[in-house]
Amino acid sequence: MTEQPHDPHEGDHGHGPGHDAHADAGHGHHPPFIQHHYDDAQHQFDSGKLGIWLFLAQEVLFFSALFVAYVLYRHHHPEIYSYAHKYLDVKYGAINTAVLIFSSLTAAWAVRAAQLNQRKLLIGCIAVTILCALGFLGIKYIEYSHKYHEQILFGRYFDPCVSSGGVSLLTKSNHCPGHKSTVQWKDGNAVAGCYQDIDQDPSKPDVQADCQVEEVRIERGKPARVSAGAPHDCGKSGGTVIVRGDGGTYTFTGTCDEIMVVGNGNTLQIDAAKKVAVKGQNNTVRANAVDAFAGDNTTKRAIAKGISGPQPTLAGVTDADVDENKEVVREAAKTPIAAQCPDPLAHGAAQAAKKYPCWRVGYQPSVCGKKSGKDQHGVIVEYGDHGVRGDSLRINATCKPTPKATEPADPFADVVREAKIGAKEVKPYHRPTTHEEHEREAAGPPPENTNMFFTIYFAMTGLHGIHVLVGVLVFLWLLVRSIKGHFRPDYFGPIDFAALYWHIVDLIWIFLFPLLYLIH
Amino acid sequence: MASTDHHADHHDDHHGISHVASIKVLVGTGGTLLLLTLVTVLATKVDFGASINLGIAMAIAVIKATLVILFFMHLKYDKIFHTVVFMSAILAAALFVGFTLMDTGQYQHTNIWDPDSPPVAPVGPRPTTG
Repeated sequence: MTEQPHDPHEGDHGHGPGHDAHADAGHGHHPPFIQHHYDDAQHQFDSGKLGIWLFLAQEVLFFSALFVAYVLYRHHHPEIYSYAHKYLDVKYGAINTAVLIFSSLTAAWAVRAAQLNQRKLLIGCIAVTILCALGFLGIKYIEYSHKYHEQILFGRYFDPCVSSGGVSLLTKSNHCPGHKSTVQWKDGNAVAGCYQDIDQDPSKPDVQADCQVEEVRIERGKPARVSAGAPHDCGKSGGTVIVRGDGGTYTFTGTCDEIMVVGNGNTLQIDAAKKVAVKGQNNTVRANAVDAFAGDNTTKRAIAKGISGPQPTLAGVTDADVDENKEVVREAAKTPIAAQCPDPLAHGAAQAAKKYPCWRVGYQPSVCGKKSGKDQHGVIVEYGDHGVRGDSLRINATCKPTPKATEPADPFADVVREAKIGAKEVKPYHRPTTHEEHEREAAGPPPENTNMFFTIYFAMTGLHGIHVLVGVLVFLWLLVRSIKGHFRPDYFGPIDFAALYWHIVDLIWIFLFPLLYLIH
Repeated sequence: MASTDHHADHHDDHHGISHVASIKVLVGTGGTLLLLTLVTVLATKVDFGASINLGIAMAIAVIKATLVILFFMHLKYDKIFHTVVFMSAILAAALFVGFTLMDTGQYQHTNIWDPDSPPVAPVGPRPTTG
């Protein structure tokens, strides 16, 4: 609507090399603002303008590297973006967008004012532009400081305590419990997490947890081979055993997990076993209790109790039942390690090395909940990695959190959320962190590598923020010069170029805002 | 009409150095930009599907950017060469992004987080200290 095709004069004044200017400036007299290597005001202005456009082109390329990082990472991990953007407040982003657009308007207006020799208006426009830029930075400060306090930062400084898969995002020893709290929510109930000051810090006067902590040695290996004659104590040396041979007599004491027999004419005297599998003929099994049994119909059985329901089929012995190489996982050697709950440095090895990754503290329904019939109010502490074969240690802690007797004065008392650990209610007396809020809303912890979002976020908004800061300095300089009356209709290049720079800063934010804040 | 007036208008004020934007154009551009900001915020609240939402947000951003470039940055009235310079940069940036995305099919898609299955505690060996 602004362009009506046809005004023959457009070319003359709309663009470029105005012949009038040339004439006006004259050749004989050189105005003071024109540097000596330029012919006239027009020449100086055009050179500057080309320069600033080249600079702006460079700015686009400069930022494009970060946009590439953004696009690539978002393409590969959409789930991170759709989770992590919730940490950003659309309100602040939108206000900042409006502030920048308004300042762009005043910057453009400043150019017009300079061109028309409206000095007061010029000064006003520049001042408003500076105020808007400072406002933008102020809001950025609010956003950044909030993220700093809650450790919603880049790289390893993003600290939600636990990530999905239960792997801690932290490697700082002594950090997870007691320092930062994060709670995993499901259906409005806390199901896992680190409860700051509830059960982690024995040094606090109001420790709420009474925990039994033990270290369990978990052994992985093959079934033990048992020889005939001497009694085999399942409780001591492994609950999964294999017997190979004919005509022997075997005695088992204690409770065995699984007894496998390959051979003929053996006699087995068993105290108790969860499973007995016999492959071969004419074997005899005498037992007090066996939960499951597999063997053929030549096997004589005398089992006092245990097998309930229909008699097991006698024909069905598979190779899997008597697999000599199957992996056996068993918990052995439980050692109590601390009377109090999870002090990550309580353990000797950790104390020595101080390289312990974060302990995972969480309520684990599958371990301590209904399934195992244990105390539902427990908090389980586990430490370890996934999927590694070989022996391992597990730290189990069963804690009973008890609400504190007195609530400490809390300025945010009205927003304190009540958490439920199982059936028992616990009042965390801190304000729920952004992490906790989002975990509750999303019913889960942040995806793995969510820190990458914030690395990209801080790189992009940080670089943009630096540009805003530079803009403030440039406009301050222009403010001083315009107050001194340096600018006139034939000399306003600095205003025009600074405004162009300011518009590109606005332009980049126009993309950053939806890309970072407005992810659906 | 408006534009002829405005040309006539600044013909008087024009000193041959550069184009003077009319107040109408400046305020109109600023107002449209603010309006589009509101639209893009509201559009995000409606679920059109992730890619369509992204498309809408980007389309609005491109429109806003175009308005800024044409009117605030005067590119519409400026030398064509400046447009060439700037568009080359935009084109290069688009190429960077485009080329980066070209081989994305080559990688395994790892969607680590599944909201339906809550995380399970790890069990395993403790790394040797030291």
